[in-house]
Amino acid sequence: MSDLELRIAGEPVDPTQDWTLHWLDRDAGVVLLRRVDGTASRLALVEGSGRDWVVTLAGRRIALEAMTWRERVMAEAEVAAKAHAGPVDVRATLPGLVVAVSAIEGGEVGEGEPLVTIEAMKMQNEVRAPRGGHIAEVAVAAGQTVAAGALLVRLG
Amino acid sequence: MVPPFRRLLVANRGEIALRVMRTCRELGIETVAVYSDVDADALHVAAADRAERIGPAPAAESYLSAEAIVAAAERSGAEAIHPGYGFLSESGDFARAVEAARITFVGPPAETLATLGDKLAARRAAADAGVPIVPGLTVALDDDTSESVLAQVGLPLMLKAAAGGGGRGMRRVDRTEELTSALASARREAASAFGDPTIYAERVVAPARHVEVQLLGDRHGGLAVLGERECSVQRRHQKLVEESPAPAISQSQREALADSACRVAGSVAFHNAATVEFLVGADGSHYFLEMNTRLQVEHGVTELVTGLDLVEWQIRVAAGERLSEAVLGAEARGHAIEVRLYAEDPHDGFRPVAGTVGAWRMPGGPGVRVDAGVGAGSILPVEYDPLLAKVLVHADSRPAAVSRLRRALDETLVGGLQTDLSFLRWLVDEPSFVAGDYDTGLVAERWGHGPPLSDEELALAALIARETRHARQATRPPLPAGGATRAWTEAARRAGVDRTPHR
Repeated sequence: MSDLELRIAGEPVDPTQDWTLHWLDRDAGVVLLRRVDGTASRLALVEGSGRDWVVTLAGRRIALEAMTWRERVMAEAEVAAKAHAGPVDVRATLPGLVVAVSAIEGGEVGEGEPLVTIEAMKMQNEVRAPRGGHIAEVAVAAGQTVAAGALLVRLG
Repeated sequence: MVPPFRRLLVANRGEIALRVMRTCRELGIETVAVYSDVDADALHVAAADRAERIGPAPAAESYLSAEAIVAAAERSGAEAIHPGYGFLSESGDFARAVEAARITFVGPPAETLATLGDKLAARRAAADAGVPIVPGLTVALDDDTSESVLAQVGLPLMLKAAAGGGGRGMRRVDRTEELTSALASARREAASAFGDPTIYAERVVAPARHVEVQLLGDRHGGLAVLGERECSVQRRHQKLVEESPAPAISQSQREALADSACRVAGSVAFHNAATVEFLVGADGSHYFLEMNTRLQVEHGVTELVTGLDLVEWQIRVAAGERLSEAVLGAEARGHAIEVRLYAEDPHDGFRPVAGTVGAWRMPGGPGVRVDAGVGAGSILPVEYDPLLAKVLVHADSRPAAVSRLRRALDETLVGGLQTDLSFLRWLVDEPSFVAGDYDTGLVAERWGHGPPLSDEELALAALIARETRHARQATRPPLPAGGATRAWTEAARRAGVDRTPHR
């Protein structure tokens, strides 16, 4: 199976041939990388399974897809199916307390405008509209606690 | 030697609870942990001799509940309570409740906490003691004073919460029209964080460095000045990196800062550990910011350069001991730097990240200290601060300490969630940081969202993902011999066609 295609943020990337990989802790995903010319080595971490992988290099998480030919065909079909624009659900990325709601049901919102303010980890985070449009539904009220992934606002 | 106390309760969680318990073990003091429901399996609970549940996950009902904590101390027979930092560490009411229960509070007297906890009162006290303060108001803002505020303070200005700390309730105002909405949001954040919406205004001093002086006082008038710390690497007005000594402070500035710190401390009834924070302007003049009468997150850098255990001395002072000659005459040796590992995405405005810690490898070797509150598999409750660990290094000189820090960070791996490690690793190669010539604008001006990934990093990540998928495929459990496995399944597996999810 040597036909894996690697993608980062949807763009194909060729694996380097200038470095080699050595396992330090296979279960934890710890790898040592050595440059083949012997001038450098560094540690990295790899997590994931199947198609989806995350490599942590110098503290930075890099999400990758490693796809077989078959998975690539499936992924392309999925993208084609999603291409038409539909309603957008804005969801909480973190669990927390809703402290303010500026979205008004039935109103209009511009891209990047604040919808809801959620307090989590002692920080107030503004959730903004991913695109402009009509506010079809406001699913939360100030004072309410929300779980990660909870629906906040639906853009029609 | 008889321990200062038989049993001590640590009214905190995370790395600082573990830090305090380590000293207690060395002194022969039994430790009591407190925990909320989400922390039942946390490391600080496992590290203590005994543990007391204090309530549900929200801090207001557990770690901020003076009543629950005092009751836990009474149940467990603790003779003293160490509050750590944050939570109730600067609450005069808490200190009073502890003393009323005939338990020793490891901190200053309750009245001192009450005075200094009000940042406005502290500003007035410092000004009265002849210490320069940041230009601005010494009275609270009401909602109708915008015109007079602008006239008196000038732009740009900083709104601050009187009950503030940790950067919360702070808003910078650059333009007149921003004042009203900034004031409203600062008030909201202050009310939610501290239960007090009082806001005041200061002129923005920029460029500026954040330098603070560590003090340790006993109940007999002994006061030790344990040098300064430079804390200018900040995001959201919260510190990320601290070092001692401050790299760009002259000996005369150092003495002036120490003198101001002692004047502020002398203006209140103070004993135990305290930090006096200053802004130092481009011309070298300094302005009092606030005095924190508790252990600071970054106390470890002072411990490394002085060789003292500040927690030990907090406990001894609380027990009535005098500071020793070694403490009063302590001198700094070498250079120490601390970096804070946070569950935050520095590529997305240092947004806090929730989740579970995956792999966890901390650095070691000469001159490296790690104070961690989590380990592999730890779940990060969203209710609390996202600090994971502090990595500290000590070396003979600043350049050696920076090299040591770079080496230590190269040994550090955290899985499961994005941390600020990528920012910290970038920082140790950043020319202004390496030169020791930086101010509080460093993160905003030089980091932004961080540099893009290099082609080499992308190609390395691709190599790792490809090799890992191949390796995992190869080590998949063998097919059961004979039995139900159909010939076509085997053939398909050999050909690499696999429809079942697997690791």
